[in-house]
Amino acid sequence: MSMIRFDNLCKRYESGYEALRGVSFEMDAGEMAFLTGHSGAGKSTLLKLLMLIERPTSGNLLINGKNINRLPHSKVPFYRRQVGVVFQNHQLLFDRSVFENVALPLQVTGYSQADIGRRVRAALDTVGLLDREKHNPIALSGGEQQRVGIARAVVHKPKILLADEPTGNLDPQLSAEIMALFKRFQDVGVTVLVASHDINLINRMDMRIMRLNQGQMEQDGVSYGGY
Amino acid sequence: MAATKSRARDSGQRGARGQMLSRVDKWRSYRQHHQATLKSSTLKILGEPLQSLLTILVIAIALTLPAALYLSVENIRQLSGGVDASAQISVFVKKGARESALESLTTKLEGLSGVASVTYISAQDARDEFESLSGFGAALQYLDENPLPDSFLVQPLLVGDASRLVTEIRELKLVDDVQLDLEWLQRLDALLDMGRKLVLALGAALGLGVILVVGNTIRLAIQSRRDEITVVKMVGGTDAYVRRPFLYSGLLFGMFGALVAGILLTGLGFWLAGPVDKLALLYQSQFSISGLGFSGFVTLLLIGGSVGLIGAWLAVGQHLRNIQPR
Repeated sequence: MSMIRFDNLCKRYESGYEALRGVSFEMDAGEMAFLTGHSGAGKSTLLKLLMLIERPTSGNLLINGKNINRLPHSKVPFYRRQVGVVFQNHQLLFDRSVFENVALPLQVTGYSQADIGRRVRAALDTVGLLDREKHNPIALSGGEQQRVGIARAVVHKPKILLADEPTGNLDPQLSAEIMALFKRFQDVGVTVLVASHDINLINRMDMRIMRLNQGQMEQDGVSYGGY
Repeated sequence: MAATKSRARDSGQRGARGQMLSRVDKWRSYRQHHQATLKSSTLKILGEPLQSLLTILVIAIALTLPAALYLSVENIRQLSGGVDASAQISVFVKKGARESALESLTTKLEGLSGVASVTYISAQDARDEFESLSGFGAALQYLDENPLPDSFLVQPLLVGDASRLVTEIRELKLVDDVQLDLEWLQRLDALLDMGRKLVLALGAALGLGVILVVGNTIRLAIQSRRDEITVVKMVGGTDAYVRRPFLYSGLLFGMFGALVAGILLTGLGFWLAGPVDKLALLYQSQFSISGLGFSGFVTLLLIGGSVGLIGAWLAVGQHLRNIQPR
């Protein structure tokens, strides 16, 4: 069964702007894919729909076989606990340590302190930042900050990992490292969807690519001629 | 389609079972979060001492004013309660009433409802008392007959009954005049009534003030923690989870304010106790000021806490909804 399924999805904003126009695609559990396209093509809107920040205007959005179009507001937090999100600007909190940043998703879910400690360290170990847990994230480099963001996105072992331009501000070397990290999560069964317009990086990875253009799925497959 | 449905049900059941297993854990972590939030909210208030102190003082003053007025009214009422005993009705009997008629009048007076006691004062007794107390005794010697009438002193059970009793007694035969020197007491009662209403009005107005002050403080706190709220919502924090620290802050601000108000009022009580005792001594009264007391202190804390909580709740309800992940 597909983990993510977009079924003829449309999103029209209140301003009248049509961000997505009849987008359909499926992603299996444990699949990894890139979402690309020019800015304004609808990448961000698509991710926002998956995070339930926005709701579709028409069409169906199924996660793990369950239609989440009309998921009530009170259930949204519980849905989000199955999803990990990595942002371009990290969205780390600079008033607390790296450890406390990564611990947030576990705290809101209500894990015990001991569990939190164990899982946070495991996540930090995965991204190679175990020795920085007591640092303030502001003292870290851009690449390290992004890895803290990734640790926070995966610490609660989500079924789906979304990333919005995760390598936007990073040099090619660091970007490749970040992508390799995502690949590792895919290997353990996480469905990974990465929105990026970093064509060079994407082309170097042998992955499924979905290309949006003006709110429509222009291309979906592993071949990427024409770039 | 059928396969999809049954699989969905399967996963649903798994989810439910998973939740049941960890219900104890969830309850424990819920309690832990409450404790942690209480602690961190307290630390946040103490961490910005100047800003917090200003808020707390404003709340304290807003609570002190109506509470002080309330205590004043209560004290004056206690004082006037002591005066009730002297709320006597003087009943003057027509001249030349016969002994038997006086006796029947006594019975009638005693039979009225709301009468505590009836004392007969004969004209002669009245004259003797007048002679000894007024200093005009010599002048009375020159009068042929006693100008004073026979009279009764009627003690009502309740001050409130006095006016009705006066009307009823006036109707009785042989009664010449009835005097009730109570008007000032009734005026005081009316004033106290007004005082109590004033306490309510002032309390409501200043309570609203506290709600606004706390609401504004919480609004600022929400603004300054905007990023944190966004991230917490993004990683699956429920509305209740996001609300909790701000509600605790409001509660704590209200209670700290009430604590300071309580200390101020207790201090005020001690400060006034000396002069009031001296004054009471001069009037040969046993009256002494009664302060806030323990139950008053607790009530004040409860009022402060709930008003703070309401203020926080309103601010949170208004502003948190606007903060959504983008």
